[in-house]
Amino acid sequence: MTRTEDQVLASSFRDPDGVLFERGGVLYRQVNHSGAAGYDLMMNSGLYQKLVKAGQLIPHQEVEIEPLDPVRVHKILQPEPVPFISYPYEWSFSQLKDAALTTLSIQKKALAAGMILKDASAYNIQFLRGKPVLIDTLSFDPYQDGQIWDGYRQFCQHFLAPLALMAHVDIRLSQLLRIHLDGIPLDLAARLLGAKSWLKPGLFVHLSLHARAQRAYQDPAKTQSQPRGSLRKEGLLGLVDDLRNTIKKLTWTPAGTEWGDYYNQTNYSSRAFDHKSQIISGWIEQINPQVVWDLGANNGAFSRLASQRGCRTLAFDIDPAAVEHNYLHVRQTKEENLLPLLQDLTNPSPAVGWANQERGSLAARGPADLLFSLALIHHLALSNNTPLERIAAWFSTLGKSLIIEFVPKSDSQVQLLLASREDIFPDFTREGFEAAFSPYWEIVETVQVAESDRILYRMTAKPA
Amino acid sequence: MTHPLISLLYLDPSSGSVLLQLALASLLGIGVAIRIFWRKIRTVFTKSTEPVESDELDDQD
Repeated sequence: MTRTEDQVLASSFRDPDGVLFERGGVLYRQVNHSGAAGYDLMMNSGLYQKLVKAGQLIPHQEVEIEPLDPVRVHKILQPEPVPFISYPYEWSFSQLKDAALTTLSIQKKALAAGMILKDASAYNIQFLRGKPVLIDTLSFDPYQDGQIWDGYRQFCQHFLAPLALMAHVDIRLSQLLRIHLDGIPLDLAARLLGAKSWLKPGLFVHLSLHARAQRAYQDPAKTQSQPRGSLRKEGLLGLVDDLRNTIKKLTWTPAGTEWGDYYNQTNYSSRAFDHKSQIISGWIEQINPQVVWDLGANNGAFSRLASQRGCRTLAFDIDPAAVEHNYLHVRQTKEENLLPLLQDLTNPSPAVGWANQERGSLAARGPADLLFSLALIHHLALSNNTPLERIAAWFSTLGKSLIIEFVPKSDSQVQLLLASREDIFPDFTREGFEAAFSPYWEIVETVQVAESDRILYRMTAKPA
Repeated sequence: MTHPLISLLYLDPSSGSVLLQLALASLLGIGVAIRIFWRKIRTVFTKSTEPVESDELDDQD
């Protein structure tokens, strides 16, 4: 029996031990009776406190409110909300690797406290204040001596397989996660890895052998007699350690993708760069946004103008190397306001999963108070042939204010783009740009960037 | 004590994964047991005044 204003989250349906719902704009988690033992032990054993202190588990409060489902309810929790939900197919190599290592670290702490992680889904991890955090408070079950880890297969598919493919085959294979929402099937990963897995025992065992074991035993007729067995705790810890060592050895050096070296190769003089930063900083002060989306952020040089002022900033870029560089910088300097993410703006994250509702599209996770579109418009309009008006229209669904840089045909980067193709863009001029944006955006201010042909605009979205 | 290899929890681990896990764990568990054993031996010989953590393996990151 739900109140009419309660909204169960579209992604919260697999685990009968609890359910996430929203009421009055606040997120709650109902713990059901079936999850009571696990929840109570997590709280009483000290595991909750230990994980929260380590910044590895989302904190929550127990609240006394009318339950979503009074028949099943044990407790209602109010977790700290995650301001921006991101998905594993939007993460760079090191973001996924850190999420994997966090999961294993949590598993070890759980085992030490007499508990075990039920599952090992990458969707249980979110980035909060720059770091990966487990958000599924109901992930823990009491550990029974000898029990197996149900999450082993899921860990290999969600974490090990994509990381191995990104490191050894092609960084772009992380996008397989967008299609395979329960992680990359092990037989597919093993096939793509091919001979590369033979030299690396961890990958051979946990991916190739694992795939073969799955294939060998997938016929239910083969396992007619109920097999019995027992897994010693040391064995399970050994398995967790082996996974940890295998993941730690996976590395990716972001050389050779198109935009990795961007800021060393662009046509900004340092004076132009400084002037641009100055203008943008001034506008940020005036707009005073809470949330900023930097579209085509590259390594986050301009994103930081916002994040360092305390704005919660998302830095989206199509290039895995740029996102990786940005994330490594965030991690090293322990920045809390910046989240770099992979995103192809000509094909942004769609809504996927059951009924196309489980994992939200990019636009559904907005709008932002302020958008940046710096050194981007020519890629969308020329490389992708997108009419300027469509760009203006789409941007108006993403943010309330806009700082956008018009890059004219006289700019050397644009000349490069048009060098080997016919110029079919008569309206790609300053006048054409302003005319295309005016139906959706009010132009507040315009400044030419010093020592450059580029023009910065500050715009405010017109009411729909 | 032996356990049935069906899962009582919501996730389907797949029979192949379960059997592989059992096989691996018995091999890997030996390594873990040896490490714990050697740590205990070391504390006897070094006569360390630091308290031995009973759950050392969980304090790596």
